[in-house]
Amino acid sequence: MEKKLFTQIRNEWHSNLWLALELLVVSVVMWYIIDLLYSRIATYMEPRGFNTEHCYLIEMGVLTDKSPDFTPYSDTHKQSDEVRELVERLRHRPEVEAVSLSQNSYPYNGSNSGLDVMYDTLHAPGWTIRRLATPDFCRVFQYKGTRGETSEQLAELLERGDFLASDNLYHHYQISMTSLVGKKAFRFNWSSPDDSTEYRLGAALQNVRYSDYEQGRFCYSMLYNLNLIGEGWINADNELCVRVRAEHDKNFIENLKADSEKQFRVGNLYISDIRSFVDIRRNYQQSYANELRNYIVGMGFLLLNIFLGLLGTFWFRTQQRHSEIALHKALGATNGDVFRRLMAEGLFLLILVTVPAIIIDIVLAQNELNAWHNGTTLEWNRLLLCASATFVLIALMIGIGIGIPARRAMKVQPAEALHDE
Amino acid sequence: MMIRQYFQQAWAQLRQQPLISAVTVAGTALSIFLIMLVVMMQQVKVAPFSPESNRDRFLHVKWGSITNEAWGESTSNGPLSVRTAREVYGKMTTPEAVTIYSVFSKSRPVSLPGQPAISVDVRETDNQFWTVFDFVFIDGKPYDQATFDAGQPVAVITESVARHLFKTTQVTGKEFLLAHAPYRVCGVVKDVSTLAETAYGQVWIPYTSTDQINNTWNEDLMGFVSCTMLARDRSDFPAIREEANRRLDEYNKLIGEDGWKFINRNRPYDQEKNVLATGANWEPDVKVERRNRFIIFLILLIVPAINLSSMTQSRLRRRISEIGVRRAFGCTRMELLGQILGENLVITLLAGILGLLMSFLFAYWGNELIFAQQYSMTLNPPTVDASILIHASTFGWALLFCFILNLLSTGIPAWRASRMNIVEAIGGKNH
Repeated sequence: MEKKLFTQIRNEWHSNLWLALELLVVSVVMWYIIDLLYSRIATYMEPRGFNTEHCYLIEMGVLTDKSPDFTPYSDTHKQSDEVRELVERLRHRPEVEAVSLSQNSYPYNGSNSGLDVMYDTLHAPGWTIRRLATPDFCRVFQYKGTRGETSEQLAELLERGDFLASDNLYHHYQISMTSLVGKKAFRFNWSSPDDSTEYRLGAALQNVRYSDYEQGRFCYSMLYNLNLIGEGWINADNELCVRVRAEHDKNFIENLKADSEKQFRVGNLYISDIRSFVDIRRNYQQSYANELRNYIVGMGFLLLNIFLGLLGTFWFRTQQRHSEIALHKALGATNGDVFRRLMAEGLFLLILVTVPAIIIDIVLAQNELNAWHNGTTLEWNRLLLCASATFVLIALMIGIGIGIPARRAMKVQPAEALHDE
Repeated sequence: MMIRQYFQQAWAQLRQQPLISAVTVAGTALSIFLIMLVVMMQQVKVAPFSPESNRDRFLHVKWGSITNEAWGESTSNGPLSVRTAREVYGKMTTPEAVTIYSVFSKSRPVSLPGQPAISVDVRETDNQFWTVFDFVFIDGKPYDQATFDAGQPVAVITESVARHLFKTTQVTGKEFLLAHAPYRVCGVVKDVSTLAETAYGQVWIPYTSTDQINNTWNEDLMGFVSCTMLARDRSDFPAIREEANRRLDEYNKLIGEDGWKFINRNRPYDQEKNVLATGANWEPDVKVERRNRFIIFLILLIVPAINLSSMTQSRLRRRISEIGVRRAFGCTRMELLGQILGENLVITLLAGILGLLMSFLFAYWGNELIFAQQYSMTLNPPTVDASILIHASTFGWALLFCFILNLLSTGIPAWRASRMNIVEAIGGKNH
């Protein structure tokens, strides 16, 4: 039986060569896409270290001298007081759970500042994000400590003047920040490299990811209380973030806008825009979403092509082999035999090209031409999984593509087909 | 005469094998459809349409990078301050015009006194903005130099904003509240798609009417504005770059006294490079982007071409004795090759038109999905219309890709058919 299959494939060598070539190209490209999708999805599923559900960002505006209500700032009329007053008023809204002020800190934020956190001779990696925020920031975005500290406890630590850091800050020294909690001799390089002020590490944070598509292990950050570094840091450019109680999260934006003229104009300050983190998140990650969209469409395109190619080729083949199939049936082959024979031909081709395809996949991965995940492009289990997924998907398309002509072939009536013989 | 025969031949073939024809047409149309979507996704970023009709003559400085002696390797990256933009680029003489405007539109409340406010995207600009970008004014006119210099609270608004506030578009001279300050409408323009990323807004006001000039960081050197130069001709680009560099060097000397230094990263960028510059701290690589697009086109062409090749091959096999007879009666190999390619081109073009039509429809109805913008500050969807989607070059690209696809899918089978031994061919012997 197998021998016959080989002979058949060899006999149709010319058109099989086209098919094999197509299957080879498609299976390499498909593997690349599936590998990328796998990496993206695996990253997406990791814990984020924060929660933006029911959160909103409020942008503050300041009147200009063009407005009749404008009063110039002075020593007794300070912008920081107005900002604090606005925060207080928001806090008193029944649906609001927590309100925070921050600078370059909220999740899905394209702007960021960096800072080195030093301990003895240890330094944080170059891309360590400095988050300056009022203590309630931990409650707004529900940060968690590695030793089970709740957002409330973290907020208290910030209030005390401690700083918080993501657990992975000294990852490159194989030291977890959790093991350094309570140590007092940390230094920052923010005012000058020689600043010798020392800070205490209050808690290590569960790694706070920069976005849904970046792995937690590569996102380094520290958090310090914005209230403790000088009055000038509290101003209308701060990010004003709000967490709304889940059960009251209905029409928050509309309601707040409606009340903003009467209740939330504080001196020169007004609410100029309110955005939900659903929008902020989608907007910030649009480039990733676009990329995924493109690859998924690409995958669909390739699968559809496999389907069309096999459908066309095997349609021809069953036409040409009309009398041969009839003879086969006349000699006692069942419909199932005919169907299986055609299917086996396609699948055998796929198995044949899968070997060189996987070799190409490995070479591509070795040369770092595919997606990065866990800091590498070649992970054997990932490669195997993605190559198998590729095989299954293509096999499925082959099944459908050959299935249609094969069903037609099954209907061949030996008596009619062999009429002339 | 020959063309007519191609059509007849192609039509006859399509009818002979309905399923194979359907597969061929579907494969070709699908390929052209996706290729044209990729082309359009790039075109909305670089092809001209109002108010960015001069995209091919634009040079942008969207961001800047700055460092200080005290910082070591660290840099600070973002939009420029008004002072920096004016001193370095504002006084340039080689370009036809230079405009300075806020880097993003900002959402601000707009209302009539005593009525509820709506949020609109406001962009702060200078008066040159209206020279560099070609907005379509349906009422009034842009603010001029004197108005700008005086920092008067005037505004150009879009048709939609005018309708929303005043229920009509003839509203020049009327007042409304923008961020609680009274502004007077000086002009009304047609709505602008968010895809015109540099010019986009719903309300435009002089940046001298707000606090923009003092809205700075890093000691007045960085702020929140960008700058676009309009060259008289693309051939002026090197001269403009040269002048920009010279002025930047002078500026660096000035600010160097306090240890500051701007890092150029080869700015200004032309439109194609500027759309890639999503961050201030790196220089986009146009070549890599082009190569990636080339690979995408290659895959979108090769995979269906292999498919179609095997289909063409099978079809030619059925016509083998016909080919033999033709050759026997003196048809040369080149003629035969041309004929097969020509017949197939008719089918490819038919399917190509189908694909192109599909891509236009898809782009029009699926605009929010296809043209969703990255890191945009507005939540308004990217609207498209014929002026944005349909350019002469769009058809040029479609035609070019049809030719390539036809050559790839028919070339090898046609070449093999034309090399066939006449006797064997007439005898009907396979391959």
